[in-house]
Amino acid sequence: MELLIKNGAVVDPVNGNKGDKTDISIKDGKIVKTVSSKATIIDAGGRLVMAGGVDAHSHIAGAKVNVGRMMRPEDSRSGISPRTKITRPCTGYTVPNVYAMGYRYAQMGYTTVFEAAQAIMKARHTHEELEEIPIIDKGALTLFGSNWPTMDFVREKDMDKLAAYVSWGLLASRGFGVKCVNPGGGEMWGFGKNVTGIDDVVPGFDVTPKEIIVSLMKVNEMLGLPHSVHLHCNNLGNPGNYKTTLASMELANQVKASKKRQVMHVTHLLFNSWGGTNWGDFESKADEVANFLNNHKNVTGDMGQMIFGSATTMTADGPKQYANAKLLHAKWSNGDVELEDASGVVPIYYVKQISVHAIMWAIGLELALLTKDPYQMLLTTDHPNGGPFVNYSEVIALLMSNKKRQEEIKTVHEAVHAKNKLPGLDRELDFSEIAIMTRAGTAKVLGLLDTKGHLGVGADADISIYDIKPDQIDPTVEHAKIKSAFSSAAYTIKGGNVVVKDGQITATPLGRTYWVDAKVPQQHHDEMMKDIVKKFKNYYSMQLANYMVQDEYLTHQQVVKAGIIPAEVN
Amino acid sequence: MQTVTLKPKKEIKISVEGENISADIFSGKTEKEIHALVAWMGNQKTTIGELFSVKVEGSGPAADTKIILEGDFSRVKRIGEGMTAGLILITGNVDMHLGAKMSGGKISVKGNVDSWAGREMKGGELIIEGNAAYYLGAGYRGESCGMRGGKITVMGNALDFVGEHMCGGEIIVKGNTGILPGLSNNGGKIVIGGNTSRPGSEMSKGTIIVNGKVEEMMPVFKLEGDEIVDGVTYKKYTGDVIGNGKGLLYVK
Ligand SMILES: [Zn+2]
Repeated sequence: MELLIKNGAVVDPVNGNKGDKTDISIKDGKIVKTVSSKATIIDAGGRLVMAGGVDAHSHIAGAKVNVGRMMRPEDSRSGISPRTKITRPCTGYTVPNVYAMGYRYAQMGYTTVFEAAQAIMKARHTHEELEEIPIIDKGALTLFGSNWPTMDFVREKDMDKLAAYVSWGLLASRGFGVKCVNPGGGEMWGFGKNVTGIDDVVPGFDVTPKEIIVSLMKVNEMLGLPHSVHLHCNNLGNPGNYKTTLASMELANQVKASKKRQVMHVTHLLFNSWGGTNWGDFESKADEVANFLNNHKNVTGDMGQMIFGSATTMTADGPKQYANAKLLHAKWSNGDVELEDASGVVPIYYVKQISVHAIMWAIGLELALLTKDPYQMLLTTDHPNGGPFVNYSEVIALLMSNKKRQEEIKTVHEAVHAKNKLPGLDRELDFSEIAIMTRAGTAKVLGLLDTKGHLGVGADADISIYDIKPDQIDPTVEHAKIKSAFSSAAYTIKGGNVVVKDGQITATPLGRTYWVDAKVPQQHHDEMMKDIVKKFKNYYSMQLANYMVQDEYLTHQQVVKAGIIPAEVN
Repeated sequence: MQTVTLKPKKEIKISVEGENISADIFSGKTEKEIHALVAWMGNQKTTIGELFSVKVEGSGPAADTKIILEGDFSRVKRIGEGMTAGLILITGNVDMHLGAKMSGGKISVKGNVDSWAGREMKGGELIIEGNAAYYLGAGYRGESCGMRGGKITVMGNALDFVGEHMCGGEIIVKGNTGILPGLSNNGGKIVIGGNTSRPGSEMSKGTIIVNGKVEEMMPVFKLEGDEIVDGVTYKKYTGDVIGNGKGLLYVK
């Protein structure tokens, strides 16, 4: 099938296009040089054309997400729409059902989304949900930061075994990359404790979060994985935690990247850029964090922007969630994944007139505005922790318009004037910078820039067209139009199929699930498996034979080869 | 002034979604327009006109609209949902969710109401001359706030979980209530004329006054001594002490 998009104002930073009228030719799901005269023509009529959106950090599938749904029936009731001839029924706002996840991302012009945390043991559940999310391509990052085998191999300083474990863990979970959440903290939470910094020793394992982070970065690069280590820092959500964040980011200097990308991605920095010592003197340290990034090209981050209103916090950071539930008098769900991790889910309502919430809201925007290179600060809301992903258009409008920010600042708690730099920041991002934060940058950080995040020949034909004409709009003033356009794409094209037209779903093909098959020398694998077999015999409540996610769970899999042994070319 | 009278055309056996029966929606509409309003019966889409006879006298804004429901409405749910003004008079019994989320106006029922009457109500008044079933003025599944404002009066009895998750407003039950009235409360006032069992628990704020007998007390309240409220001497308790709650429980 051939498709030709004519007269689009194409914003494609990877290929140096800043809004020039460029035709895009599509054949068999890929962008090609030319198409025949039989191609179906879409006339973009001078409207904004970008690559399909890529989200590098969102919680769209798996055990935690489903716990959120179970404990929040009131959330399910808030987003109900009945089935149509081509779409299934939708529910939920912060924790939508699987169908709504796919439709709503596609309606915003997003075509690729990565679930940011799955425990290996729960991976089957993640993939059961991913299989049901329509339209978008997806993948899941696998948790390694508090796993017993990880900590054992780190203590033994056996990087070969650790690499073999990561390789096997990715296969077992059909995971795409290495996620590390509050390293060591998940284990300590099993004893009602937490780690407070990167130099605390995890009892019983005799390792520190610092050693875990550095070791995982080393093996990540030994294996040449497409994505870097994806870190949720220790001390998240505590005033004064920016020091832990800076110390963690500093560790990136100890490891050299194996690919043209960062060696560490630090996620939802909004929750990690906090100054002060308590909720009374709580303040933004986004400037310190952004300043670090401006001087260290080997680290990237994402915003985790907060959206006022209802959110559901869900994370493998179990101890943090207990503290949150106590603080908020909120519903709380706690999870323990044997030998691997903890987790927690707590609903929250972010209020403009609560000083801490207002300061947090401003921190996210400061991070994006103070980090000079948009490739280093991706747009996320850490859905649904900072707020639901359907609000990305609000964040885009805020970043593009100081006028809008000033209007918003008038409605939030006055603390932002004393505790944040935001009121004085006048930077306004342009369409290229937004395209980087939502497409090119996210794809690059994930290691998928060859086929995602741009519109060059050979890229996947994932394209969004928005109902704005870049040469006729001033985003700094007409921010309402920007918000409305980015919330509902005029067209979303996924793999060459028109899946959204005028904000309505027109087709629901099933996307692919990306995972990484990273090979290690057989001998390393065999040595590592001796330990794993012992762990299963002595501690796990399930059989090793039942642990691995089988092919049946991935009907549309996209395998990315990596590893210490160069992958054979098929 | 507008008066709208509805009567079931025949016996309703399958429950009907009656959220369109509200002063806000009926006000200013003709008989024909009210006839055409949607009313789901089970999984079948039907109309008000299919199910009820409709008589309209006069016309006026919601605040000046009176709806009279004559006959058996015991299988009609969600009457007066989200209503902001006006009056609904019900001569018999009604099904679940009467006046849910209403913020103004008044609903008066001669008969009994099923569960969830006045759930998440923000304002206005609900007067029930008969009995109320479960979860009167409570929050629906998962909701952290039930009733937030307004007033509910029940002349008869109510079943379990009166005012669960209540955050404001007032509930008066002249008769007895089932177990756990005022569970997980975060504000508001519940006055029980008769007997109950296990009032309160998980309260962080709010007040419960029991004038009858408390069959069983939850062991999470601290006795503070005697206190006189409106001329009556009560034993005053505070709790839930486990959650460091500031709820007040008065027992005669
Ligand atoms: Zn996250």
